[in-house]
Amino acid sequence: MKAVGARLPRYDGVEHVTGRTTFVDDVRIPGTLWVKALRSPVHRADITALDTGAAESMKGVHAVITWKDVPLLEYGHLSALGIPADEPLLAKDDLRYKGQPIALVAAEDEETALEAVDAIKLDVSEKPALLDVRQAFDADAPVIHQWGNWYPHFEAEMDRRQIRKGDIDKAFDQADTIVQGVYRPAAIEHVPLETQVCQVVPEASGRLTIYSCTQALYFSMGVVAAHLQIPLNRLKLVGGTVGGGFGGKVDTATETMCSLLALKSGRPVKWRWTREEEFLCSSTRAPWHMEIADAVTSDGWIVGRKMLTLHDSGAYARFSPYGLTKHSFHHTGAYTIPNLSFDGYVVFTNRVPTTAMRGFGVTSVSFAAETHMSRVAEVLGLDPYEVRLKNANRIGDTSPNGVVYTDPSTVPTIQAIADAMGHELSAEYRTMNRHQREGELLPEHLVTQVGNPEEH
Amino acid sequence: MAKHVGRGFAAIEYPTGMNQNGDPSQAWIKVKPDGRIDVFAGTSDIGNGSKTIQSQIVAETIGVPYDWITYDNSNTDSSPVCTGTFASRATFVAGKAVEKAALKVREQILEIAGKELEIDPGDLEITDGEVVAKGAPQKKIGVPDVAAAATWGHGELITGVGAQLKPYAAIVEPETGKVDLPPHSAISYAACAAEVEVDDETGEVRVTRLVQCYDVGRAINPTLVEGQIEGGAVQGLGLGVLENCYPYYPSVEHRGGEFGSYLAPGMEDLPQIDTIIIENPSADGPYGAKGIGEMANNSQPPAIAAAVYDALGVWITELPITPERVLRALEAKAEPGREGKKVVFDEELSVNTVSNGGMRFEVPA
Repeated sequence: MKAVGARLPRYDGVEHVTGRTTFVDDVRIPGTLWVKALRSPVHRADITALDTGAAESMKGVHAVITWKDVPLLEYGHLSALGIPADEPLLAKDDLRYKGQPIALVAAEDEETALEAVDAIKLDVSEKPALLDVRQAFDADAPVIHQWGNWYPHFEAEMDRRQIRKGDIDKAFDQADTIVQGVYRPAAIEHVPLETQVCQVVPEASGRLTIYSCTQALYFSMGVVAAHLQIPLNRLKLVGGTVGGGFGGKVDTATETMCSLLALKSGRPVKWRWTREEEFLCSSTRAPWHMEIADAVTSDGWIVGRKMLTLHDSGAYARFSPYGLTKHSFHHTGAYTIPNLSFDGYVVFTNRVPTTAMRGFGVTSVSFAAETHMSRVAEVLGLDPYEVRLKNANRIGDTSPNGVVYTDPSTVPTIQAIADAMGHELSAEYRTMNRHQREGELLPEHLVTQVGNPEEH
Repeated sequence: MAKHVGRGFAAIEYPTGMNQNGDPSQAWIKVKPDGRIDVFAGTSDIGNGSKTIQSQIVAETIGVPYDWITYDNSNTDSSPVCTGTFASRATFVAGKAVEKAALKVREQILEIAGKELEIDPGDLEITDGEVVAKGAPQKKIGVPDVAAAATWGHGELITGVGAQLKPYAAIVEPETGKVDLPPHSAISYAACAAEVEVDDETGEVRVTRLVQCYDVGRAINPTLVEGQIEGGAVQGLGLGVLENCYPYYPSVEHRGGEFGSYLAPGMEDLPQIDTIIIENPSADGPYGAKGIGEMANNSQPPAIAAAVYDALGVWITELPITPERVLRALEAKAEPGREGKKVVFDEELSVNTVSNGGMRFEVPA
């Protein structure tokens, strides 16, 4: 029997739906301590006092940790790519979002852990929060991040991601119509059935066994090892079966802090976020602000695109610079547009840091670019399928950043939907294919966009 | 007061693998004395089905039944590096690593079978767990017998390792964004039509039908890829009309901390979903596969927004398209500004309106 192409049942599907799969929360370890967190009660403040003495002396409390317990306090999600770190594992001097972890407690049971959290003395001096990315650049905006209000460390220390191609001014000058619009998809939760959860066992050998719900065992192992400043052979991550992630479990939200508590207490520890913590304190999909202006001809060619993107990163950078770069590479969607001017900024605000989520960086621009495409068709009075087919990228076309497409399927996928919906296409679009441009589909403005797919 | 129906459309593309690459996956495989196959890889299965897909690739590549495969991704002591399950990379990148490891195992099985049968390994092939001489099917030996011979007779461990890594694509011109290599493993393509029904009294948008077409390169497991596409459609529907952490964004007020105040899609929200799969193989993915896990929730929001326009004649470009936003849009009936050849929508949302001059979106006229 051929295995590839076969409709085989999911490897572990029956165990999942009959409740027999062992997820992290199902692992039972004798002597485990419960972990609870003290989190920021405000959106932005300076910490003026933090005293864990009373909590530490409570009966049943085995360890309390703050920023002082972390060997390397700041290690960025993208540090391995050489991008500088900006976020302390536990808040040190200031608080940048409501829900930010400040101190953690490991105690005999959940109730004692909660009481100990309440016994930690925290004084803060509240400061005005920045919440609207559109106002982050204003002279009167509060400056909320050590790097300023937007990420300044792109290549050549540029403060934005830029794409430039062709002659944007000429394209807009020659256009028959310019269509402008603003697109703002929302922050959403990953909503995994399994909330963030972790168990750590300090082994007799001195190693730590970390039961993790991470989507990326080796990435998370690297993050823990970096914060703890230990080699990888001190750690064993156990996982690989995740109760829903969608991008939110790349963050390594619990593993490092639990490791520190296990080392400090000498006991196994378990931290399982409540559903409320999952909703309010876990990172979200980013909200995005996108403005598009397209230079178009009356017969439906898109000859130029100018775009501004403000990516609401929340309080820290995490994966946002990566997400914005990916966004910029795909800002023309499934079409070939010869003249481009894109500027994108990763903007800091006082909300929970945003992170990867299914479609990271591109979900936003797919919404913006495609809704805009529908508008362009409507403004020009053209068929929305045919405008797309006309501008569709084809084998041999060149991407925004100079890469020749080798196998685009924009044309066949659009034709398949037109067919399924009974949407009548005129003959030239019905018979169109994805192969290299020629004839009427190679107008003068696209001649420079045709490259050799064999070279890529 | 009436219900209005509308249709909208969107076409999208999405890269496979980490943007700019540099994301390795590795695998190693060993064969038990009875020919059963142990695969060790570090790919977390987040519900995307990577355990199944990688096991299928190994079974197909070696030429043994699928149920001979045991797949272990349980810990970092026994499993080699996988950058992780994100960036639509598990089928393509991690799948390529197990394919490469499986090819090496296949080679060793053929070599030992060749010794046992006294036939050149190049004249042998493996089908359904048996090593058979090409053109002389009566000359054969079962993979279990080959594995036993390797273990007890030849003193060999049949094993193989594989790794997949596309080199990092550097941005060589920060001003233009130009890269020195393709910054992806592949690109996948999809299109989606949405049908909606909108109540102009309550403002509620019901998505009644989603028709979607994906180029998946090669469907390693059609059932699982349909599951990705349908599951993604429901998440896209959530993005389009339901979900929002900050109902009055950018304000942080009224943030919901429980399911009762955060509307994730439920079964009652499910539209009819029709799925069309086309297979234009990628140049170098395992068996031509491309990754489509993430893009599966990207096409619905713009298709739904266009369908709402088709139904009501108003553009709503802040997501989600909630009843409140529908009713406010119907009340405002906003027309785009027109100046010369410019048609300007959504002026009230622009940085040019909302900022105090710190950021401008300048459009050449």
